[in-house]
Formats: sequence, structure tokens, C-alpha cells
Amino acid sequence: MWKKRKWRRRTILGGLLALTMAFAAACGAEKAGTAAGEAPVDATNQTSPADAASAQPASAEPKAEPVKVVWWHSMSGELGKAIDHLVEEFNESHPDIQVEAAFQGSYDESLSKMKTAMGSGSGPSIVQVYEIGSRFMIDSKTITPIQKFIDEDRFDLSRLEENILGYYTFDGQLYSMPFNTSNPIMYYNKTLFKNAGLDPEKPPATFEEVKAAAQKLTKDGVYGASFALYGWFMEQLFAAQGKEYVDHGNGRDGLAEKSLLADDAGVKVMTWWKDLIDSKVMLNLGRATADTKKAFVAGQVAMTLDSTAALRGIVDGVGGKFEVGTAFLPRPEGAADGGVIVGGASLYILNDRPEAEQKAAWAFIKFLASPEQQAYWNVNSGYFPITKAAYEQDLVKENMKKFPQFQTAVDQLHRTKLNNATKGAVMGVFPEARQIVEGAMEEVVNGAKSPKDALTAAQVQITAKIGDYNKTVK
Amino acid sequence: MDSAQSLQSAHAGHTAHAAGALRASRTLRSLRSIKRRDNFTGYLFLLPCFAFFGVFLFYPLAKSVYLSFQITNPRGEVAAYAGLDNYASLFASGAAFLATLKATVLFTLYTVPAGIVIALVLAVMTHAKRPAMKAFQYAFSLPVVISAGTGAAIWILLFHPSAGMLNYFLGLLHLKPVFWLADPKWALVSVSMMTVWMNLGFNYIVLLGGLRGISDDIYDSLKLDGPGPFRSAFGVLIPLLSPTLFFLLIVSVIGAFQTFGQIHILTKGGPMDSTNVMVYRIYQEAFVNFRFGSGSAQALVLFAVILALTLAQFFWLEKKVHYQ
Repeated sequence: MWKKRKWRRRTILGGLLALTMAFAAACGAEKAGTAAGEAPVDATNQTSPADAASAQPASAEPKAEPVKVVWWHSMSGELGKAIDHLVEEFNESHPDIQVEAAFQGSYDESLSKMKTAMGSGSGPSIVQVYEIGSRFMIDSKTITPIQKFIDEDRFDLSRLEENILGYYTFDGQLYSMPFNTSNPIMYYNKTLFKNAGLDPEKPPATFEEVKAAAQKLTKDGVYGASFALYGWFMEQLFAAQGKEYVDHGNGRDGLAEKSLLADDAGVKVMTWWKDLIDSKVMLNLGRATADTKKAFVAGQVAMTLDSTAALRGIVDGVGGKFEVGTAFLPRPEGAADGGVIVGGASLYILNDRPEAEQKAAWAFIKFLASPEQQAYWNVNSGYFPITKAAYEQDLVKENMKKFPQFQTAVDQLHRTKLNNATKGAVMGVFPEARQIVEGAMEEVVNGAKSPKDALTAAQVQITAKIGDYNKTVK
Repeated sequence: MDSAQSLQSAHAGHTAHAAGALRASRTLRSLRSIKRRDNFTGYLFLLPCFAFFGVFLFYPLAKSVYLSFQITNPRGEVAAYAGLDNYASLFASGAAFLATLKATVLFTLYTVPAGIVIALVLAVMTHAKRPAMKAFQYAFSLPVVISAGTGAAIWILLFHPSAGMLNYFLGLLHLKPVFWLADPKWALVSVSMMTVWMNLGFNYIVLLGGLRGISDDIYDSLKLDGPGPFRSAFGVLIPLLSPTLFFLLIVSVIGAFQTFGQIHILTKGGPMDSTNVMVYRIYQEAFVNFRFGSGSAQALVLFAVILALTLAQFFWLEKKVHYQ
């Protein structure tokens, strides 16, 4: 009997213990979930403005809670600090709105999180998405086109750069507001140019000139050039020749259906690339621009391609070791007039947020587009100002004096003739297509396939992916 | 609480009557009920564990079985029923799937034997309980505290083709630089080197524990009988270590098949898919391209492969394991 009673007590104790543990575990998991997934969403925001009004009956002095706007971005390091500064400025000057910036990892990572959050009500008010995510964001039907706010507000678009608007205008309207824009330029080592007997003020402009210069520059362990196997460069080199990347007017006259990767333009680029490697004047460092940048800064390669946004880092990294020159993206001799495509990212307002919050988000986006903020952003990030008036700001003028190399980037942007080729291709599966192109570039460079074969295989693959995508959005 | 009390009093009543002719059957019955309740308590203790496994293992597993029969739209939502299409296209894609499988198997072959053998040699050399050995033991087990992410970040610096240390040393030896991660012939080897180093700490600690577990008498008699280091290692220590080695083998093979972190950071599956192991492909398919259907199908194929391999190892190799 004694035994039984003791045993019974144990049962109850055990049961209680187990329950407590299960409960604690559940709580822990729940907490972790909120922290990781939906960090900055404020519960008070989820009530609509009407609810808020009824909950707080019109007293003599309604205590206005600031509207909270959550912004998911992908700017890390110095860029992240610049973002925090912009947000702080805004919050100080707008007591009725509280913007909270949350870093969400790289563009790819952030977009993945966005896809998971879409329609769940736990997403942000504003999200920064890279340019090649545009078609997907529009087709997802989870955003409020920025054009709606522009029309309501009679916001004057003519103060923005035409080339930048060109990229982000689809079916005659803006779905997102451009924020950070860049394009690729060629960086070259002026000191090595001088030593090789080349004119440091006359950088090579064509594929052929690049090869000739690289041959002279390659000696004493230095390579003439190193370009990262980056799909973005392929897209840009199509535009530099004035050629379209996908059909239906580069996907701008209708949903793209076919990749044009294996056209002459692509074969020309890869034949040139492979020739540079075979002639042992170009170093293949793989897909990462971080690696080519490192080699360039270390003076091991004389020419490289990189984003304009890398300028500051390169000039600072080089210090006084040598003189950094910048040049337009090269193109094949006799190529049609082309230019560069605007890269970077834009800001979307999500349509599952309450209207008051979306309006507040628009107020913040407008603030970001103002000349003062764009000047600050340009100087601290190396991205172009999207607002033309920003060039008149002293901050930008001083910066141009300090980094005269940036003028090349601005000129390259302004000299680009706007057409479907230079507006840039549009397709829903762009991120994946870029991976496939990079795979093909690797195959060519490593001699596994001829340029034509590798590009044709990639073109077939991309066309199939586009087909699958189109089926799900029609 | 009420019900517990009434249960208690009812039970007290029962035991008060426990006498006479019915005693035998009563004891039997109460034994049975004790057993039943014993089981109940046991399950109660298991409940948190089941809840955990349920939420984080069984539910996702069931969900991926479900998803493997569906097609998802670009947002990852289920769009249509696909039947066996996901599996069919997986095997129809032939070359691509085989390349992934080949990379995975090669990676396992490069990392598992090397990782175990090196750790074993180091453990045999340093298992003695001498103060000087402590320093080695510390150094050799150090990689265990380094995560795949940190380890890969360190090695990406070593591997850098023009500014990395490995090529610097090759240069000192007047050898041509190797493009560790950019050359499709080298990339998998490079990632394997890094992985062997990273797994060394765990393998070493487990084997050191195994060697420590062998009775001192055996070491003493080895000393007295005086066989050389090779004979004592191969004739005595390794057979006695075989349960530990068997455990390491199973765990390492599973680990190698599930490798993700270092691939993601070092090569992202490239160049030319030479390091595109199965888990990485699944990740790309499901979480980059948002095709959860075919991603799930591949995950289940991987599950079947690992299960088959583990069963095979138990079937063939366990017979050779010497349990004391």
C-alpha cells in the first residue's frame, strides 16, 4: 500500500513535470519564431485606421500614435549605416511616422523571406528588391503600384533620371520607386598602363583594344585583365551592343517567351572572353567580383569589371599604391549603339498593409527621393542619385572632386540611348536565368563546350523555365 | 485534481478488500494495472520529445511527401497536383541528377576515409595520459568548436587564388598557383580538404574517447609483451576500437551526404556543378527557385539513399565489429 501511494505520487509529479516541459518548450519555440520571422511588426499597426478611430473615441486631444513603417532592405556594412542615418533623419522630421529599417540579408535571401511572408500579414510595409526581381514582384500581385501614389500626390516624375525611370517603367507605369542604382564600369590600373607604354588617359574601348592592351600589360606575374563570371556582365555586354536579351522587345512589349542568349551578341562576348583566357592575358577567378576586386586592388590584374558602387572601396583599398582609372564598358568593334542597363534595386509598397501605413510608406519613399537625401546616399554609397537635382548639391560636387573617377559612371549613364535593349530585359525567372548563364560562362571558360554550344544549351534551359513561369501567372 | 483524489480513494477501498480467495487474481490484476500505468508514465515523459519530433521532424516529413506530388507557383504556393511528375522529371533529367549524385558520392569518398584515418593516427599518437600530450589533444580537437560557416570563411581566405596563403606556399616551392575554387577539377577536392579539417575535431575526440575506454590492463600487457607500434595498433587497438570506428563511419557518411554550409559559402555548387551535392541542389530548387515540389521529391530520394546506405553498412560491416 505504501508503495502504491508513493508510486501514484510519482505519476502525478511526472505528469506535471512533462506538461511543464512541453509548455516551456512550446513557449520557447514561439518566442524564437517571432524573433526570427516577423521581428519588427507592431501589433498596433495591424488594426485598420477605422478600428483605431473607433477604439479611441474622439476626445478633445486624440493622442496620435505614430504610424509604424517597416522597411526590409539588403544593405550591409557602410551602406547599412547610411540607411540608418536616412531613417533617423526622417523619423526626426516626421513625428507622426516611425520608420524601422531591418536588414534581411542579400537580395536573394531577402526575396526568399518576402515570398514566404507574402499574404501572411507578417511582412514589411516596404521591401527593397533587386532590379531582376521586378517582373516577379509585379506578377505576385502583392504590391500597390507606386504609380497610384504618384498620381494621387501629383508627384513630379520629371525630376528623376530618365534612364532610371526607363528601367522601372512597365506597361507605362511605375510599380516601384528606384532607390539605389548602379552600372558596371571598367576599372584599370593607370600606373601599370604607363609602365607598359600605354596611354593611361586612353583606356581601351573595344573588345579588340582590350585584348591588345592586355597582351602588353601581361608580364612579371601581372595579368592584363580578370573579369568575374557574373551573369550581370553578360546582360550588360548585350546592352552595350544594343541587343536584346529576351524576345518580345526584351520582355517589355509583352511577357518574354524565349531567351536570345545564343544570338551573335552572346557568342561574340564569350568568344572574346575565351580568347583572352587562352592567350593567357586574362585570369579566371570564378564567379565572385569580390575576388577580382581583391586581385585588382593588390595590383595583380590591370583591368577588371565591377559595379560603380565598388568605386569607393577600390579607391580606398588601393590607397596610394597606384592610380585608379575608370572607363566605359567595352564593346565589339563596329557594334550598334548601345549603353548600360541600370542595376541596383527599387522599393515596393506591399498591399497587405493598412492604407494609412502604405501612405506613410509613400511619404518615406518620397523623402528618400529628395535631392538632399539622394546626395547623402550617393556620397556614402557610390550609387547614382536618382534625382537630377542632387548633382547640384555641394556634397555631391565635393565628392566628384575627391573621386573624379565617378564622372565616368555618370557619363556612361547619360550617354546611354534609351531603347528596349538598354532598358534591360524583363522575365519572371531572371535570378535563375542568371545562374544558368553563369554556368554556361564557366563551361566556355573551362573549355568544356564551345561558346555557341554552351550558350545554346543555356538558352534552351532558360526558355523552358520562362515557359513554366508564364503558365503559373497567366 | 478532483478525479485524481477520487481515483485514490477508490483504490484505497480496493486494497482494503484485498484478502481471501481472490487474492491471487487480484495481485495479477493490480500488477497488470501497475504495468499499464507504468507505461502511461513512460509515455508522459516521452510526450515533450514526441511533441518536438512531431513539430520539427514528422510534420515536415509528411509535408514534403505531400509537396513532392505537387507543382508550386513562383511564390511557392501549391498550384496543381503533379502525381509522380516530379520524380519522373528527376530521373528523366538523367545527366544533371547523376552529376549531383556523383559529386555527393565523390565528396563522401574524399572526406570520410581521410577524416577517420587522420583522426585515428593522431589519436593513437597522442592518447597517452602525459601532460605534454594535453597540448596536442587540445589543438587536434579545436576544429570541433568551429562552425561550418566560420571554417569556410577562414578557408576562403586561404584558397584565394592570388592573395591566399595556399598559393603563396606553392609559390615558395616554385609551383604554379592552383585555382582552388574556380577550377572545376579542383573545387571538390578543395572543399573536401576543408571538410576533412573541420570534421577532424569531432572524429579525434570520439576516437580518443574510444582509446581511453580500452582497459589499462591491455596497455600494460602490450607494454610487457612488447609488440611494435604497428602490431599493437592493428592487432589490438583497432579491433578493440571497432565499435567506435563503426559509429564514426555511419555518422560521417550521413554527415557527408548532408553537407551544405561549406558548399554554400565556398562554391555555391559551382564551377560547372562540380560541387553541386544533393543537399545544395535541394536548397537551390526549393529555397532559391521556390519549386518545393521537385525540391521535396529530391529530398525524399536523398532520404531513401541515406537510409539504404546506413542499412547496408549495418548489414555488411557490423559483423566485423568486435563488441567486448
